[in-house]
Amino acid sequence: MADKMELKEVEVWDGNLASAHSLRQAQVDVVAAYPITPSTPIVENYAGFLANGYVDGEYVMVESEHAAMSGCIGASAAGGRVATATSSQGYALMVETLYQASGMRLPIVLHVVNRALAAPLNVNGDHSDMYLGRDSGWIQLDSFRPQEAYDLGLMAFKIGEDHDIRLPVMVHQDGFLSSHTAQNIRPLQDDVAYNFVGEYKPYNAMLNFEKPATYGVQTEENWHFEHKARQHFDLMTKVMPKIKSVFAEFENLTGRKYKIVEDYYMEDADIAVIAMGTTVETAKLSARIARKSGLKIGVIGIRVLRPFPFDEVAEILKNVKAIGTLDRSSPNGTVGMLYNEIAGAMLGIGKAPIMRNYIYGLGGRDITVEMLKNIYNELNEDAIAGKRLGAVQKFINVRGPELTFLGK
Amino acid sequence: MAEEKKIKNLKSFSTSADRFEGANLLCPGCAHSIIVREVLNATNDDLVISASTGCLEVCTAVYPYTSWDASWIHIGFENSATAVTGAEAMYKALKRKGRLFQPERTPKFVAFGGDGASYDIGFQWISGAFERGHDFMYVTLDNEVYANTGGQSSGSTPIGASTTTAPAGRVSYGEKRHKKDMMAIMAAHGAPYVAQVAPNKWKDMVKKIQTGFNTKGPVYINAMSACTTEWKFPASDTIAVSDIAVDSLVFPLYEIINGTELNITYRPKNIIPVRDYLGVQGRFKHLFQPENAHLIDAWQKRVDAHWAYLQKREEARV
Amino acid sequence: MAKETKGWNEFDAGAILFSFNKETTVSNLATTLPENRAYSQSNSYTASVADWRVEKPVFNRDFCIDCQFCWIYCPDMSIVSRNEKMVGVDYDHCKGCGICVDVCPTNPKSLLMFEEKKSENEALANWPKKESKKDKEAN
Repeated sequence: MADKMELKEVEVWDGNLASAHSLRQAQVDVVAAYPITPSTPIVENYAGFLANGYVDGEYVMVESEHAAMSGCIGASAAGGRVATATSSQGYALMVETLYQASGMRLPIVLHVVNRALAAPLNVNGDHSDMYLGRDSGWIQLDSFRPQEAYDLGLMAFKIGEDHDIRLPVMVHQDGFLSSHTAQNIRPLQDDVAYNFVGEYKPYNAMLNFEKPATYGVQTEENWHFEHKARQHFDLMTKVMPKIKSVFAEFENLTGRKYKIVEDYYMEDADIAVIAMGTTVETAKLSARIARKSGLKIGVIGIRVLRPFPFDEVAEILKNVKAIGTLDRSSPNGTVGMLYNEIAGAMLGIGKAPIMRNYIYGLGGRDITVEMLKNIYNELNEDAIAGKRLGAVQKFINVRGPELTFLGK
Repeated sequence: MAEEKKIKNLKSFSTSADRFEGANLLCPGCAHSIIVREVLNATNDDLVISASTGCLEVCTAVYPYTSWDASWIHIGFENSATAVTGAEAMYKALKRKGRLFQPERTPKFVAFGGDGASYDIGFQWISGAFERGHDFMYVTLDNEVYANTGGQSSGSTPIGASTTTAPAGRVSYGEKRHKKDMMAIMAAHGAPYVAQVAPNKWKDMVKKIQTGFNTKGPVYINAMSACTTEWKFPASDTIAVSDIAVDSLVFPLYEIINGTELNITYRPKNIIPVRDYLGVQGRFKHLFQPENAHLIDAWQKRVDAHWAYLQKREEARV
Repeated sequence: MAKETKGWNEFDAGAILFSFNKETTVSNLATTLPENRAYSQSNSYTASVADWRVEKPVFNRDFCIDCQFCWIYCPDMSIVSRNEKMVGVDYDHCKGCGICVDVCPTNPKSLLMFEEKKSENEALANWPKKESKKDKEAN
């Protein structure tokens, strides 16, 4: 039996340590992992817990991220709680197995500390890796700061492992800006956290020798479509209600309220920006300042990236005149992902607000309060004019001549 | 550990209840199936099996049918070793935590992969699993070619074989590279037990599989799988060709214990010329043209040298 | 053979297949013969590959010495042996490869290939005589 850890009411943890504690408290049965910057400390902290008697599950240090997820799949199919962590190139190496995990409906929890993708090589945070996995059939939860990486880390097990769901879950946080930024964290005590997550309930376990199961079959054109349709159906119809109920349970326990779509100052907003990760925090601060000068700006943070909250987003944005989507990933030949999804959500309710797409922060480039205020002003002018006064897409804080695309 | 299954002779072995089923989609005469049966029937313990993408996998788990009466998983081409060792890690965790479903059982963890999955694309995953020391058995179904996809060269394809990616032609004798010595590589991992087997020598094979199951730690088995489709011989000749393969010493049967102790486990009474082995297979047909005669001589010399080397290793015990 | 009528909402999530009927629990599988197993419809045991064959092996009890070579080398679990005795061929799962005939050591052989459409009685009636040493050498 693993030792319990006495935690203070407020601890000073960075996002990586917060994630590692969530894994420890969930009493994960198997962690198969491979270190990569900036998620390495999750694995290191976990190894430290193990070395000091705070973990009694198996910790398998494999030889690559692909093997990490492969080992997680084997372990999860065997019938127990499984988690790991990765970033960037490691995440890219895992991609093949991400699809395998979700297709076999294995509720693995993966902490993704977001980082740019090479080339050119870069160790800092952007959302390229998070975007890469968005069609992989996983549930993707996004945290904006270390406390949320911890909270969502606990909730992820409860969401994914539910027998109606049985899907793997990613918990995202920004590389360095969240993973290496120490903040005040209010953790749960070990027993409280474990009781919240609950015991793992096996489902079609390979280690149940009374019911031999075959995992990872081949399906060709006569079966494949139906299986993919089933997975999509469950993602589209079952996951959101489950997430909502887990968020509500968590709020009852801790007082900390989570929403599918986080919104700030949206009640009377004429203009809004949509962001993810730590940028949501910066955007909130900028909005508070901008509101003092009379801008009716609101901020939306996407808490659940997959399944995408079309209805929730559209409901919040239905009366907004101008929208700026902030994408921290190079779209490489099109508009950013958030622009696409939000445009789709608005069109779905018959609305056509003015929309802009801002590409920012690639490879860890700063986005400042001042830059965000400029974006708000631009959107505000659009709203007043009743039309978009510039190009759809604009790169923020990149050196060289102004970089805009799609109209002027 | 449960008691080892007693297999006195072939008659007593034939009372085994197969846990691998028919109406799978393997070719008529496929040696993979014979190997799988000998592995599975070597124990009465429960089995957790993984398979890499390849003939065995695509022919035995095609929805809506499974041919496996055991827990079975396939993930990808490269990672059957990791899939099954992940399950083995879960077994250890649940055992420690007292959460096993049937705690009295003593399951065996077995991964199957073709030579492409083992020698080439999955090599890193096997190496990692062996380094970590999981308690499992990895079985390479070695038919020296990517048979599932129609006969492309793999790292196990021997020199002179005609394959679709190294076809024999007017100016080429086919594959130019030598077969990788996987036995030596796996022994160099310090694995407690490494063995080469051939299904036609069933007694030798089953004994090695049982030794493997009784060994704590990672076990590597290289199983010769004569391929009627890609080696190009009639489906009825699988065992006959396999006999020639071991009696010509192209596939010598031996084991290596703890990385050093080498034992030859089968010494043919009459060693057959390598020429005869090459002659029964369509993939070597072109070697019998006059301009390729030197290649047959080189084959014989190479096989002789390797046999001499194995005997020296056996004597030296190092 | 494949039951392709099911819609997307009618099967186990994750494309998981079960070897045996879900209602039953299996134990001592390694010592439970097929006739005593509750195979599920997903088990290929319930399917047939009989239509793969052009020729089929026919078993002649008269010459069999129960050596079990055919049992061990059959790639398709189609040699039925019970209590150390060869019983016959499982024609649902036999693909007609002919290995069993090739490895049969008796003289004449106890298993021979015949045209698929030929009846067992006809085959047995046409069974060859014991080959003399001389004939063997001539062959």
